[in-house]
Amino acid sequence: MADYRKMWEELGMDLETHDQLCAVLPTAFGDVYLSQENRPEGMGFWDMVVADVHGIRPAELIEAQKNGQKVFGTFCVYVPDEVIIAANGIVTGLCGGSQFWVPDGEAVLPKSTCPLIKASVGARLGKTCPFFRIADMYVGETTCDGKKKAWEILAQDVPLHIMDMPQMKRPQDMEKWANEIKDFVKVVEDFTGNKITAENLKEAIHTINEKRKGLARVYEARKAENIPISGRDALLVSQIAFFDDPKRCAMMTNKLADELEERIKNGVSVFPAGTKRIMLTGTPMAIPNWKMHQIIETSGAAVVCEETCTGTRYFENLVDETKDNLDDMIKAIADRYMGIHCACFTPNTERVQDIIRLAKEYKVDGVIDVNLKFCTLYDVEGYTVEKALKEAGIPVLGIETDYADSDAEQLKTRIQAFIELLD
Amino acid sequence: MAEQKKLHYYVLFKTYTQGMMLHELLKKDGIKSRIAPAPRAIQGELGCGMSLLVEPDVVDKVRECIEKNNAEYHDIVPYETSINPGRNRFC
Repeated sequence: MADYRKMWEELGMDLETHDQLCAVLPTAFGDVYLSQENRPEGMGFWDMVVADVHGIRPAELIEAQKNGQKVFGTFCVYVPDEVIIAANGIVTGLCGGSQFWVPDGEAVLPKSTCPLIKASVGARLGKTCPFFRIADMYVGETTCDGKKKAWEILAQDVPLHIMDMPQMKRPQDMEKWANEIKDFVKVVEDFTGNKITAENLKEAIHTINEKRKGLARVYEARKAENIPISGRDALLVSQIAFFDDPKRCAMMTNKLADELEERIKNGVSVFPAGTKRIMLTGTPMAIPNWKMHQIIETSGAAVVCEETCTGTRYFENLVDETKDNLDDMIKAIADRYMGIHCACFTPNTERVQDIIRLAKEYKVDGVIDVNLKFCTLYDVEGYTVEKALKEAGIPVLGIETDYADSDAEQLKTRIQAFIELLD
Repeated sequence: MAEQKKLHYYVLFKTYTQGMMLHELLKKDGIKSRIAPAPRAIQGELGCGMSLLVEPDVVDKVRECIEKNNAEYHDIVPYETSINPGRNRFC
């Protein structure tokens, strides 16, 4: 293998503890992915990326840094990648999806913080993730109280810019968000030393739109009666998209979508006919959080859609590419990102409408509203989501969980009972 | 219930490009291999790298394919492991 140990050492990582993470990944990956039959050939790319997840992409990022590029670590789908790409910067996702990082997060955060925040802080402070070491600047956002306070802790250790999110979507809020993006343009220009122009922003908008279209094609294939890809595989594609080069992501997702469309034509499915179709809604599932998908898909159902930030919220809606001057482009970017419907907004009726629409488009038999523990926003919104689904005649199960294995058996029992009721 | 371990062979590489190249060559010859993270126990001082997991009944064919194509690899290591979708142990 490549000498990644030297690279990790130079990044100041805690190699001994990191080895423990490397030791559990092969077992989890084997159970979740190698146990599946008839996976699309195209998944080989994502298998390779995961197999060397702390090696291949980190090495690319370090090489880019040597060539003068800056790496921006982000935690949320509201941070506009277009701005960073326009300034020849690189975006890497930093959301922590592993229980492994939680204890290091709990060393500085209350236990009653959501696992995503605890894992993200823990991955940085515990020095066990190369992406958290490589990023030159973190970009936070004010989408919840836990994150707002976590940024204050992380900012003591790494340069951090925070984007202030509106909490409503009135015209004045839309304007505020466009101004926030303008401020971000200045921050990125200063940090990279590169001017953002109408020309490079237009190109960046196109690049990120193409990536969204690639992901959308993969999702589109999941609407077919014969499901050509498992939910676990689709989740992996989406999770890796946050880390990958956007042009390569577009190329690989389009290649996978070609294969999936061919499978649909030939009636190839990875599930037996009649398998119940489930949509997940709720909080994001950052890599390597494969827990819910694995439990559902080993309980006799298929996950066909995720209305989450690691699902449809990430790629739906494009930035208008017809604008030619910088101000109009920034407004177009602001409009697109304000079209994402996160529970941090009030009111958030558009999200409920999205869920009902997606349930119909993906022809789901039931919805599982799954929220991370201590995520008050999504937990409270769960009431409205579940009420609307029931009124629409769509069966729904609400689940609150974290990254730990301890509730897996209990969840399996509840999910199996829910699937049986769908008959 | 005790977990049923099964013998697999892991082809290890110095770089992932070598691994992907052999994966393609094996595919051309109709030999099944699966891309997998190499188990930590057989990696020694090597990084968290990719490997190809092959079943014992095709390991000789894998060696033939490597020889025929002069393909690059680091080692082929037998290792008992269990793939258990119902284990519910995550990272």
